[in-house]
Parts: sequence; structure tokens; C-alpha cells
Amino acid sequence: MKVTVCIGSSCHLKGSRQVVEQLQHLIGMNDLKDSVELGGTFCMGKCQQGVCVSVDDKCFSVTPETVGEFFRTEILEKLT
Amino acid sequence: MNNLCTDIGWKSINHAGEQLCGDHVDIVEQDENSSVIVLADGLGSGVKASILSTLTSKIISTMMANGLSIEDCVETIAATLPICSVRGVAYSTFTIIHLINNETAELIQYDNPMAILIRDGKNYDYNATEMHIGGKKIFRSSIKLQEGDVFVAMSDGCPHAGIGIGYNFGWQRDDIITYMEALANAGYTAKTLSTYLVDEVNDLYGGQPGDDATACVVKVRRREPMNILFGPPSNRDDCGRMMSLFFSKEGKHIICGGTTSTIAAKYLRRPLRASIEYEKSDVPPIAKIEGVDLVTEGVITVNKVLSYAEDYLSGNELYEEWSQRRDGASLICQLLFEEATDINFYVGRAMNPAHQNPDLPINFSIKMKLVEELSRCLKQMGKRIKVSYF
Repeated sequence: MKVTVCIGSSCHLKGSRQVVEQLQHLIGMNDLKDSVELGGTFCMGKCQQGVCVSVDDKCFSVTPETVGEFFRTEILEKLT
Repeated sequence: MNNLCTDIGWKSINHAGEQLCGDHVDIVEQDENSSVIVLADGLGSGVKASILSTLTSKIISTMMANGLSIEDCVETIAATLPICSVRGVAYSTFTIIHLINNETAELIQYDNPMAILIRDGKNYDYNATEMHIGGKKIFRSSIKLQEGDVFVAMSDGCPHAGIGIGYNFGWQRDDIITYMEALANAGYTAKTLSTYLVDEVNDLYGGQPGDDATACVVKVRRREPMNILFGPPSNRDDCGRMMSLFFSKEGKHIICGGTTSTIAAKYLRRPLRASIEYEKSDVPPIAKIEGVDLVTEGVITVNKVLSYAEDYLSGNELYEEWSQRRDGASLICQLLFEEATDINFYVGRAMNPAHQNPDLPINFSIKMKLVEELSRCLKQMGKRIKVSYF
């Protein structure tokens, strides 16, 4: 599974750093380093909905507050 | 005409308790390849010394840059300077470094510690001719410049550092030479070299300088062009033209901005890979495109570069931060402040609709302002700047 977080200006200001760090933490905690490839990308063109995160080719709008739930529903559940 | 150029930087600290510095450095550019640098140290400290040294350096630099002789300059100063009511003399010592066509340095020195020249990492004893002008003993030298030459001019506050604290006779010129020899070849800029020297002086004074102290460093180096692309063009059809102009230029290439780097990657037909390493910094991570020296995010990164540039020109206190770190802004600083001498900006005026949100501090006018401010700072660092808008 490929998870890509936008690190462009707009998403950065909306907290992509916290999103990346929490995802890294959650992926490590759940021992998913081999099945999830976490990467960055510049602007996805949907700045209004930042922080933009894509899982394979599907886009999601995530905030530092919702990242835990996002991880559960879109990554953990999909993998198990 | 050669391909040498000079990097000039200086730093002063004030006599403890004084708000003004009694030393003054004035730099006048005669033309692209010639300039006059004057370091003057006014008698005493505080307001009086500051006025004396400012007048002296301004008068000399302006007159010399307009081709008048040193004799005329000295006479003018003697006739102009206000006379000190305590000591009954008008007095300001000075060191002049006159760089001519980036080929020759003419040194004219009056009563300051003799300027140091470090060539190939070693102290170089240059010849000096003694002249008498208006009862003043003045030393004059003419030195052919070589790549890597480092000139260090200073006020007597430097060798007096530590008298009675760490050293009986202060930090002597030979000690300063040894200190600078170790640093001269390490690739530091003139500003950084002068900062290291003056910071050391400040430490030797125990943070309470007993005199104003100034070091002015001139470093002779080869020209190094650098190109920086910032923002997509306002008209989409100009992308190809902007990219081909940018990539055809000699020197390193830096790209700032997410959309901009996407356009560049498409033009080069190479993948754009963004990293998620934050490198202990508050700016977004960098990215990679094969064939481009550095790819970073745009406004936030450039804003950080600007704050580093402003600091570099004043106290240079954040040097340790940007010279060591590997985040986008620090890497840009290392390339622009330390490596480049000629910088070409390629600025796109496209408006990013997502940025025109009043909640975000990154709108279009801020972007244009950033370019203006940054190029002003870089010019002040002595770099040649060309800005093209698309």
C-alpha cells in the first residue's frame, strides 16, 4: 500500500508535518513498515482540502486531529 | 579582465556600555570590479568616536572612488574633522583597501594594526612604502590579487583583546594571524571570517569589550553563477520558454515551489521525488529531480531564507544553524550566501488560487515582496543579482 502526504506550502501550514510524524509513529507501532510505503509529494492541486493524503490513488483530507481515525479506517482496516 | 571577484564582510562590537560604535566601515563600489573599503577607528569611544570615524570613512571612500589622491583625502579630513575638546586633536585612524579591476589591491594604512594578508593558507608579508602626508606617517602597498587571498583589516580593539585578562599584552597580531590562517582556507565567507574573529575578540574581553573592535575581511575568489527558479509563469504557455532559459544557464540550479518543480520535472521528463525528512526544522522537506541541484518548497522556505539573510547582514547569529542543517532553507542559504557570486532569479508571477485564502500567510503579494527583499539582501552581500519575471 502506498500512502502519500502532501508537503506543499498550503498543506504544510495546515499541519502535514504532524500528519507525517503521526503516521510514521502509527505505522511503526503496528509493525506495518513492510506493507505501507509512506512518501511525500508536492501540491496535489486540492489545497482547500488539506492536508491532502492519498492512499494508492484515492485522495483524503486529513488533519492532525483526525489522523488517528484516518489511519484506523483507511490503512489498518484495509490491510487486515 | 579575469574571472576573480571579491567577497567583503565585516563585523563590529561596541565598547562595553556604548550604544554607538567608534569604528566605521564604508564600502563604495566604483564600478563592477573596483571598490574602495575604508575601516576607520575614531579617537575614544561613543558618539564622538562614531562621528569621527563615520566622517573619515565616508570622506575617504567617496573621494577615492572618484579618483582623488590619498594626499587630497588626508588634507580634507584634517581640515574637516571636529577637534576633540579633551585632547585638542582631530583624530581617526584608517585602513583603506582599494580594489582595482579585481586585479590589484592598494592598501593605504594609517595607525591601525597592519592589515593581514593570508595567501595559500599562510601569512604573506607584503611590502609597504612609508609616506608622510601632513605630518602623518602612512604606509602604502600595492598587491596583485590571487585566488584565495584573504585580507584582514582591523581596528586596534582586536589586538588589545584580553589585555590584563587572558594576556599581558593582548591578543597580538601574530596570534591573530595563526588564528586566521587556520580558518582562511576552510571555505568560509568574508562575513563569517570576520564574525569568527570578532567573536573571539569579544570572548577574550570576557564579553565586556574594553574598546570598539572591528574586523573587515576581503576574500578573493572565482566567480560562481547560480540560478534560482521561483514560481510558475503567469501565462501557462510561457512554461517552456522559462524552463529552457533557466536550464540553459551556466552554474547550479535551485528550484523553489511545489508546482514549479512539478513543471520542471515534466520539462526534464524526470520523476519528482519529495522526501518526508523534516531535519529538525520548521520548513517543509526538500525533493529531488535528477539534474537539479536543489528542489524545495516555495514561500515558507524562501521566507526562512530571507530571515537568515537579514540576520547574516546584521549580527550573523544564526550562522551555526543554517550552515550545519540540511533542510531546504539552510541548503539554499549555503548555496546563495557562501557559494554564489552571481545569482539569476527566474520568478514566475502566476497566482496560486489556493494561496489567496485570507487565513494563509502566503498570498501573491507576499511572494513578490520576498523576491524583492531577498535580492536586496543578496546585493548587500556583494552579489550580482539579475531578476527576470515571467
